[in-house]
Amino acid sequence: MNKIKSRMTAWGFVTPAVITLALLLLYPFFYGIYISFFKTNLVNKWTFVGLKNYVNVLTDEDFLNSMKITVIFTVGVVAGHFLFGFLFALMLNRDIKGKTIFRAILLLPWLFPEVVVANLWRWIFSPTLGFLNSALVSAGILDESISWLGSPKLALPVLIFICVWKGYPLVMIQLLAGLQTVSSDIIEAARIDGATNWQVFWNVTIPSMKSTVSVTLILDVVWWFKHVTMIWLLTQGGPNGATNTISIDIYKRAFEFFNFGPSSALAVIVFAICIVISILQRRMLRDE
Amino acid sequence: MNKAKKRIDFLCYLGLGFGSLMVLIPIIYLASTSFKSISEIMTSGRVTLFPQKFSTEAYHNIITEYPFFTYLKNSVIVSGSATLIAVLFSTLAGYGFSRFRFKGKGAIMMFILVTQMFPAVMLFVPYYKLLTIYGMVNTRRGITLVHVASVIPFCSWMMYGFFNSISRELDEAARIDGCGHIKIFLQIITPLTLPGLVSTTIYAFIQSWNEYMFSMLCITADKMKTLPVVIGQMASYDKIAWNDLMAASLVSSLPVVILFIFLQRYFISSMTQGAVKG
Repeated sequence: MNKIKSRMTAWGFVTPAVITLALLLLYPFFYGIYISFFKTNLVNKWTFVGLKNYVNVLTDEDFLNSMKITVIFTVGVVAGHFLFGFLFALMLNRDIKGKTIFRAILLLPWLFPEVVVANLWRWIFSPTLGFLNSALVSAGILDESISWLGSPKLALPVLIFICVWKGYPLVMIQLLAGLQTVSSDIIEAARIDGATNWQVFWNVTIPSMKSTVSVTLILDVVWWFKHVTMIWLLTQGGPNGATNTISIDIYKRAFEFFNFGPSSALAVIVFAICIVISILQRRMLRDE
Repeated sequence: MNKAKKRIDFLCYLGLGFGSLMVLIPIIYLASTSFKSISEIMTSGRVTLFPQKFSTEAYHNIITEYPFFTYLKNSVIVSGSATLIAVLFSTLAGYGFSRFRFKGKGAIMMFILVTQMFPAVMLFVPYYKLLTIYGMVNTRRGITLVHVASVIPFCSWMMYGFFNSISRELDEAARIDGCGHIKIFLQIITPLTLPGLVSTTIYAFIQSWNEYMFSMLCITADKMKTLPVVIGQMASYDKIAWNDLMAASLVSSLPVVILFIFLQRYFISSMTQGAVKG
């Protein structure tokens, strides 16, 4: 009797969230999978085509190319987040004056809306009226203005830079949280045993942060692998497809060309890739 | 030893100072652009970090040319209610996961993690369809629901971590004293997670206040638009009035920044208790 009552109470607590998720995430998710097997305009034309959409998007000549761009983008952005996030977290973890102010400033990019950040950088990088070109030209570093986001060579690196700027604070704060849970007793013990700063860092600090790093890494990789907003606002996949990641491809297929079936098929593939990435990362970080 | 420590401290200041400049210069430029006149912006030549002539023209424009306060009101209502609902549901769920064992718990928690892998683009079409069926396209209610759904997974996970960091012996003691589940939850455990609750609220509010893509696709009626949607719209014109755009951007970013400055103490302290762990 008591057991049943406890189970009922448990469900009472989790039900509101579970229902919301079932209705607003699970249902749309399955609906998305459903669409991927049809050639449809979503209103009155529904032709079942089986796996044809999947075959078509996977054999599309652009698929490998946009996959490559997505991988470069994700690796670049996540590497940047961890490089700066980790460096700043280490510095903020020391007992120095003004720490709180630095921490507040360094968190700022996270607080600004993506649409604001994207347009602010678009304005700074603007070819004719932008601050960066003007400053570089008047300092004599550049001979003439560059169209940063308009050049097929520069667009992807510039885009990665902007997304690193926007996203490193969350990684920083999670790593900082991880650093502060590293037991100071163990560090003290290692010091007494004669370990140098470096040895303490590599052999004590890093291993105790494994669980934090693993979760942060998985989430960051998955979030940016399927990211749309910043890329769409900054380059819309251009110039000449130089920043055309898979997510941009999905977006364009659905909302520019209204090919909802192939668009959904591609989205299902991205979902599967994200699952595989996270399983692999989990396993690798656990085995070490 | 002391000398080495001083040298490392110096390097830290150097690094933090450089980082802060990289963050602050763009933001200062954002603010300064909003105080430039359109004629100053459109003259090419030397672009200065600060306005050559201070002008409030842009602020005047966004208030007179747009129903700016309606947008502000929409943003406040949507983010306010989305945050309230999401935090309430997540707190309940987090507590349920942390304090009870029941069938299907593992599966639900797994599902919550898996939702983080859903490509947002995949949900756009189904959401639009769902909202159309229930007549909620172009309503604040519709977009609120979408925001609730998109923040609940991470918020539940956060709250689960916060509840886990509170000793279960407290529950035991309270139970022996004759408290029921509801009383333990409301009067004993939840007050102790206050910093965690504040963090989750900040997270949910920031996500909802700043959300662009879903809002943009689900709202087409001008009087229902939220601030990010309007900023996106102002940036899509052929001739962008950059000073107006930056003024609107600054006004819509400030509430979050101010809120955060007041609450950051809670946020940092609860994050460092180790909220998001595997």
